[in-house]
Amino acid sequence: MSEVAEVGSRRFASPGRKGLPSWVWATGRTIISVAVTLFGLAALTFFIGRLLPLDPVAAVLGDNATQEAYDAMYRQLGLDQPLWVQFARYVWGILHLDFGTALTTGKPVMEDIARVFPATIELASVAIIIGTGFGIPMGVLAAMYRDTWIDQLSRVVGLIGYSAPNFWLGLMGLVLFYATLGWVAGPGRIDFTYEFDLEPVTGFLLIDSAMAGNWEMFGNAFSHIILPASILAFGAFAYISRMTRSFMIEQLSQEYVVTARVKGLSWSRTVWGHAFRNIAVQVVTVVALSYAFLLEGAVLTETVFAWPGFGRYLTNALLAGDMNAVVGCTLLVGVIFVTLNLLCDLLYRVFDPRTR
Amino acid sequence: MAKQDQSTETRAPRAARYLLSSVAAVAAVCAAATTAGAATPKNALVMAWNIDAISTFDPAQVGEVVTNEILQNTCDTLVDFDPADERRVVPLFAERWDVSPDRKEITFHLRKGAKFPSGNPVTAEDVLWSLRRVVKLNFGNAATLTEYGFTKDTVDERIVAPDANTVVFKLDKAYPTTLILQAIAANRVAAVMDMKTIMANEQNGDLGNKYLGTRTACVGPYKLTRWNAGESIVLEANEGYWGKAPALKRVLIRHVAEAGTQRLLLGQGDVDVARDLTPEDVKDLEASKDVSILKVLRPQLFFWNFNVADGPFSKEKVRLAMRYLIDYDGLGKTIMTYLGVPRASFAQLGAVGALDEKEGQPFKLDLEKAKQLLTEAGYPNGFEASLIFGTLPHSAPIAQSVQQNASKIGVKLSLERMANAQLFSKVRGREFQSAMLAWQTGVPDAHGNASRLVFNPDNRAEAKQTQYPSWRSSYQDLALNAKIDEALLEADTAKRDALYAEIQKDVMAKGPMAFMFQMYNIAGVRKDLKDWSWTGFKTYYARTSK
Repeated sequence: MSEVAEVGSRRFASPGRKGLPSWVWATGRTIISVAVTLFGLAALTFFIGRLLPLDPVAAVLGDNATQEAYDAMYRQLGLDQPLWVQFARYVWGILHLDFGTALTTGKPVMEDIARVFPATIELASVAIIIGTGFGIPMGVLAAMYRDTWIDQLSRVVGLIGYSAPNFWLGLMGLVLFYATLGWVAGPGRIDFTYEFDLEPVTGFLLIDSAMAGNWEMFGNAFSHIILPASILAFGAFAYISRMTRSFMIEQLSQEYVVTARVKGLSWSRTVWGHAFRNIAVQVVTVVALSYAFLLEGAVLTETVFAWPGFGRYLTNALLAGDMNAVVGCTLLVGVIFVTLNLLCDLLYRVFDPRTR
Repeated sequence: MAKQDQSTETRAPRAARYLLSSVAAVAAVCAAATTAGAATPKNALVMAWNIDAISTFDPAQVGEVVTNEILQNTCDTLVDFDPADERRVVPLFAERWDVSPDRKEITFHLRKGAKFPSGNPVTAEDVLWSLRRVVKLNFGNAATLTEYGFTKDTVDERIVAPDANTVVFKLDKAYPTTLILQAIAANRVAAVMDMKTIMANEQNGDLGNKYLGTRTACVGPYKLTRWNAGESIVLEANEGYWGKAPALKRVLIRHVAEAGTQRLLLGQGDVDVARDLTPEDVKDLEASKDVSILKVLRPQLFFWNFNVADGPFSKEKVRLAMRYLIDYDGLGKTIMTYLGVPRASFAQLGAVGALDEKEGQPFKLDLEKAKQLLTEAGYPNGFEASLIFGTLPHSAPIAQSVQQNASKIGVKLSLERMANAQLFSKVRGREFQSAMLAWQTGVPDAHGNASRLVFNPDNRAEAKQTQYPSWRSSYQDLALNAKIDEALLEADTAKRDALYAEIQKDVMAKGPMAFMFQMYNIAGVRKDLKDWSWTGFKTYYARTSK
């Protein structure tokens, strides 16, 4: 650990080549790395899409089109051009933030993504708050009370979270909490009654309704989101709590914990004030990864809850052979992962002085 | 460690209390924020429906059932299907029509004084422009007009407006008038569009195709006021409509892809109608005191399609043998109970010229007969072939049933399921041996399917008549082609029916498609919704009330 820290510290402290500050080089390297990753992702998705035996022309023209109309649309979509020309045009479009038009909706892909992505971010964010809010304390408690019933409970709950399919959990949740108990609102983001009362500002209904001071609508949106978010959070909770437990057990066996206890520090201060700080970096990574997976879109949960989100949009595009939408969405997923990785790197530096 | 263990024991209950109280607190917040499920608004029709397929509202391009239904309720056509009898046509935007003695000219007299929601008056010029643009844009729907001689070169002369309230169709042949009214004048291609508004938004000579991608511009009992792709649709009553105002002021359609979710919403009263219920849901809901199950036969056929270019399926007797491998009765009573009825003829039940229920379904599972036919065809030991199908939920169980029966007479069918886009691509390119497919016609007349599923004008590969499923099957029978032409122009109804009966029997014996089922439109409807009205060709929102 000390060697790594030393290398890291040297790397960030030393001046870069040609006298430029090291952070410039580091930033440059990161940008190039991100650009190469995204370009590779775009190329891979684009060429796989073109190789698939799907027919985008038929998707536009329908089943009755004559060959003449078919050929004309084939040319109009640029499919008569060599693949590399098509790809070059596509990349040129991307550089101008033009991902083309989605065949399934007839709208620009960027417009579609801007419409569906807030719904997914909102759902994923509430889910990760719930998953983290319960997962971390559960993991820490399971480590503190290792092999007691609390630990066993966390294992059982975690196992269910890992193994139960979200689709089934979603339907069962709806049957129980919506249809039987009436505790939550049904599928969709909001009741039809409210749907037309609010002009979207951010696209996040909870935020927009709160900003508008419409608390009745906020309550309705909350009652719609809480069940799907909790179902999604269950998986994240399982992952976060198991990983936190494992990190914490390792810390609790360290000598500094015994020393702190011998010096009279309370059990909770030892755990939360010292041991937890040492696992914070790892926990952040786990939470970020969980969030990234949630942002990709939980297709089945979105389907069961009629949630107009990103995952369902991507799946529909895939099934319809709408490659413009597929490539656009794939790039977005790539950007999400890269961004969250970068954020993790930044947080490492905040939490771990050795990396500064 | 002993001390730690001891403290663990004492702290465990405290930790448990912490966890339980956290959960309770969150549950309390949830419960406090929850609003009870409310009944649907009194003045609105609320539906749960899978509306993923919508990609445009341009009548020239629309092909999906759901968009067609939206257009039917927002855009008046020249005439309408009679809700009481889909084979009859009744006036809609054309208040009456005259037919010349030689049947080659139909004159439509339009309603006067109607206005589009934009305020523009509706004129014959709008009707002309609407029909002509369909042909000129040349999307799939252009075939609806080109099939009857309205081509790019002729449409300007064959559809004319002698004055502001009259439109004349000049036909190249003496087609049956009712057929033309059903096929064109009642079809979405005859939706009267607001030419001025659309042309003001034309882009690069697209005749408003892009503009109509997300909106409508026409006149009907409702107007489309909002479409959030993959989310919801809102129709509102058109205040200035020339006809009777709809009883319900709004139609709200929420996109719900999952059938189980639709069922829950319907059961809770959060929607009035659920459109995509599974047979299991339908079976359960039939006992409900709050929900009615309504069904109507639609003009869609589900069939096993053979590519007759080469191999075993090129032989008529093999194709006939395959029909005896289909367990019409068994499937009809199990998988297809709430989905459709057995039908072996290409002409759907209810269509003009269609064989009746018994004559149109003469087959039953008969392995011996199938084996005998295979032997006569030169395949006493059977053969191997592939069978591809898409994502229709009933495709897989039907394919498996056929596979199982086929294996008993030595025919090994390898099944492959794929995305619909991939399936259509393969079939369109003749790259298949056999496939499970569905096809829906737009007219309640035997000619609708005869002209596409049997008639094939040019079977050469390079002809690429991809709009004809008969071409996709590599099937051409010149004698049948001639008979279909003859039936089309036969003026005597009895003779016409007799010709279609012959064609249907011929096709059942040797055609490239083993028709299996005619499908239902099925919906779960809350009992407080009154007068839900539909036929296989149209759903009438404006007639519904609460």
